[in-house]
Amino acid sequence: MRRRFSVLAVLGACLLLALAVASTEAGPGSYTILLSMKGPGSGNPFWAAVERGARDAARGLGVNLVVLAPPAETDVQAQIAQIEDQIAKRVNAIVVAPTDVSALNTTFDKARARKIPVLFVDTDGTWPHKVTFIGTDNRAGGALAGRFLCEQLKGRGEVAIITGVMTTQSIRARVEGAREAMRKCGLQVVAELPANSDRALGQQVMEDILTSKPNVKGVFAANDLMALGAAEAVKARGKTGQVLLVGFDAIPEAAQAILRGELAASVAQNPYNMGKFGVESAVKVLRGQSVPKRIDTGTTLVTKRNAAQYAK
Amino acid sequence: MRLETYPSTVQRGLGWERVRAALGRLDLLLVVVLLMAVLTALQPRFFLTRENLTNVARQISSNAVLALGQFVVVATAGIDLSVGSVMGLCMTVLALLVKAGWPAVLSLPAAVLLGAAVGAANGLALTRLHLPHPFIATLATLNVARGATYLLSGGVPISGLTPEVRWLGSADVVLFEGSRLATSLPVSFLVVVALYGAVAGFMRKTPTGRHIYAVGGSPRAAQYAGIDVARLLVLVYVLCGAMAGVAGVLLAGRVNSAYPTAGLGAELDSIAAVIIGGASFFGGRGTPGGVFLGAVVMGLVRNGLNLMNVSVFWQQVLIGLIILLAVYVDVLRRRSTQMEL
Repeated sequence: MRRRFSVLAVLGACLLLALAVASTEAGPGSYTILLSMKGPGSGNPFWAAVERGARDAARGLGVNLVVLAPPAETDVQAQIAQIEDQIAKRVNAIVVAPTDVSALNTTFDKARARKIPVLFVDTDGTWPHKVTFIGTDNRAGGALAGRFLCEQLKGRGEVAIITGVMTTQSIRARVEGAREAMRKCGLQVVAELPANSDRALGQQVMEDILTSKPNVKGVFAANDLMALGAAEAVKARGKTGQVLLVGFDAIPEAAQAILRGELAASVAQNPYNMGKFGVESAVKVLRGQSVPKRIDTGTTLVTKRNAAQYAK
Repeated sequence: MRLETYPSTVQRGLGWERVRAALGRLDLLLVVVLLMAVLTALQPRFFLTRENLTNVARQISSNAVLALGQFVVVATAGIDLSVGSVMGLCMTVLALLVKAGWPAVLSLPAAVLLGAAVGAANGLALTRLHLPHPFIATLATLNVARGATYLLSGGVPISGLTPEVRWLGSADVVLFEGSRLATSLPVSFLVVVALYGAVAGFMRKTPTGRHIYAVGGSPRAAQYAGIDVARLLVLVYVLCGAMAGVAGVLLAGRVNSAYPTAGLGAELDSIAAVIIGGASFFGGRGTPGGVFLGAVVMGLVRNGLNLMNVSVFWQQVLIGLIILLAVYVDVLRRRSTQMEL
């Protein structure tokens, strides 16, 4: 019996220690703002840039910033729990990239009941009481990629689209924008396959495209991870340069691949601005100033010409 | 006939032992109390507030219900990997029915029945098709149900349910209204408590419930004892599927939306709660009370770490450690019990 309780004590001590070590309390400051991202910054350079922008802005404005994210971009329940728990802690404002366009609405209603303003970044939500949406016009970004392929292929030939998590609004908008632009200029979209925004799946899907549609001359992938996976497949077939691959996000690894000629282009969002504008706008709202309903963070086509500045 | 596989504490049970058996694992209750004490100490202003505890109660509801179904399956030495997908499928079908104008009294039971039907498919695949392990049948339905969810929903969330449909998942009821003891509790939590009570009663008091433990302890012995093992296995998978349906109803009500990724990976959380709750993967052991505490421990750890703004990676690490430690403590306990005997 004694042994059992000593084990229990060890268990308790471990928990206590882990909790204490893991705890990162925010320092003193005027406002506390929650940045709830879709995925952790350490897993994806995109979210890392959002976080950096938000932290820089928070430092400049002297506000406390709490950054949380669910373990995966599909984990809606975890994000809901995190936001609810922070509402219970009475954060002053919530800047959120929602994992689902509407599943968090009841959570935001709770924030509203506590007079906590909610601002969307990166992904727009359906919640009607949002202060603003700060993000990329993904449709325009997709169209930018589509038009690039149009120019490169002179409006002739077969192309394919590798889609991401199609439940995500931003991915859908990119695909729609690209598809429309490519059809308009006369390119034939012969395949549109999902790869769940995952690198390994992107590679696998590209292998299938190369097998079943050998005439494909250009591919738009809805994010860079899939494009990089596709580049591996193209390389393995010895077709580097013959199939133009265009990604989205312009993450450093993709920019390096563009410089090496493995990817043709990518579309850069400005995630740093999302975090920065998110925190700045939240502070404006808290100070009673007005904020526009839609803030565009812009897109840039990244090719060999300008890839160097994204490669770091 | 006395079944040796039934938890021995119950047979010896008088008074205290009986309470212990009902709670499942006393050590786990201590861990819960300890955890709450630690969280209160670390977050004195927030943890023990009504708002936060209500949040925790709501947050654990769907996992607790999934875990309850999972437990009944695990008690037969089985496993159901499909619960998360079935939950998502039931949510989407529920939302589609609501959009088609079905009233709550029809659409809610339909969602639960759909879960039971998928469970029946799992059970029949195991017993009629003689698939070698429930892992396989339920892995198949995991994929089928998730794919069906995406097909039915077109990959987009279906939002805007009626208040009646949402009531179970989102409403609060006030108990002891007017008196000083007045407290508001989430309906979903009461549903959880009612289901655990019902299943605990079923497992302890009815012959069928005891047979479930017996089948888990030794299917062959159970068969020789005259138990219709195949029928019983189908029953537990039906029960587990129905629970996934209920969990879906609760979650859909809570978020007012059927989103197609709902329940992705939820099967692992339910399995974790069952293991932390002291059930054995080899079947025949564990109690609903213990599983409930398992779900509570997971909910408290997540809530506490959220309150402290801790990254989810730490939460995963901690839940993993808790699974290890919980099972290790159980191993030690069983060893010492054997020595005492």
